[in-house]
Amino acid sequence: MTQVQPKQPIVHQQLALDTYLSTLLDAVPDAEESLSVTLEKQRGRVVDAAESLPESRPQSHAVIVEPALEPRLNALVALETPAKLHPLSVMPEWAQYEFQALFFKVEHLILATPLTELSRTIKIERKPGKIPGQPSWFMGLLDEADSRIGVLDTGQLIFGKSRGSQRDLEAKPFKSILITRDKRWGLACDEILSIGRLKPEKVRWRTSRQKRPWLIGTVIEELTAIIDLQELVPHRKR
Amino acid sequence: MSEDKKQSDPIMQWVTFCLGEEKYGINVMQVQEVLRISEIAPVPGAPSYVLGIINLRGNVVTVIDTRNRFGLPSKEPDDASRIVIIETDRHIIGILVDSVAEVVEMRASEIETAPNVGNEESSKYIQGVTSRDNKLLILVDLNKFLSEDEKAELDMF
Repeated sequence: MTQVQPKQPIVHQQLALDTYLSTLLDAVPDAEESLSVTLEKQRGRVVDAAESLPESRPQSHAVIVEPALEPRLNALVALETPAKLHPLSVMPEWAQYEFQALFFKVEHLILATPLTELSRTIKIERKPGKIPGQPSWFMGLLDEADSRIGVLDTGQLIFGKSRGSQRDLEAKPFKSILITRDKRWGLACDEILSIGRLKPEKVRWRTSRQKRPWLIGTVIEELTAIIDLQELVPHRKR
Repeated sequence: MSEDKKQSDPIMQWVTFCLGEEKYGINVMQVQEVLRISEIAPVPGAPSYVLGIINLRGNVVTVIDTRNRFGLPSKEPDDASRIVIIETDRHIIGILVDSVAEVVEMRASEIETAPNVGNEESSKYIQGVTSRDNKLLILVDLNKFLSEDEKAELDMF
């Protein structure tokens, strides 16, 4: 009689996760592809959770956290075994404590950014005024309330020009804009999903930010990319 | 308003024109006249931003394809199209625009610097932006519209 061999436990689970995420985030050209593919696979869970939420608050209002959303969203980031942290030498202040993040979607990718970096979100109701001679990812200027915001094609910024610029904005326009805290920039996106609370230990923080400095970490369970807006938006040259 | 403030915040007049969905303004002092579209003779070997030349009362004036200059898709001229004759430094040139809108007045303080997020050279001719009737108005610095090399090149036509 053949004896069934007991399954070999994965001894180095933590190491495996660490290596996987390190490859995912640090190998630059492939990182985009693999990250988006992986996120696409994971998308269902996050989207389902977000869609199950009540109709989100009016988007033209300031970003205000609704406490009712938090318990359900906390489940997204609840992990039994937190990963070993390799914090960056320079971490944004918000990344050092539990923070509230806005989850949003660009193309099929789900991204998150801390609420403290945003002032509000709006729906795109008119086209930004295009300025000649600017890069294709700069969609133009939009007068909104008391500020003139530079609207950015987030898809191009995230995916790069070759892939991001393939999108036909006439046929498939962005729906919403996330306005940065200083009200100078707006990140065009397809959908604003939800607000959730993220604990630093539930995030795999990148250890190097030489390439793609705006990609600061990944929510381990959902593999949602966390974006540092300060590094994503351009610096005005004059 | 006090006399000092009037001097530090002068009122300027701008001729506005449309290209595609955007509205642009140029300093009225540099606009000599606005012409209906006439026959533009192409110049062999001219750069892509040069549409050709026109005969303006015995003077040869080079007409610039403003859409090309601003990176917009080309468009066939129609009844609304105009050639705006402008003076930049010592040069007289024409710029073809989709339509000429109006002359607007605004104070210097109303003009905000446009963000330049790309190549420093690429939008150096954008003097600033402002809002008019809830629409963005992009102000063009005609003196920087063409580089010195380009102006020298136009002299050869």
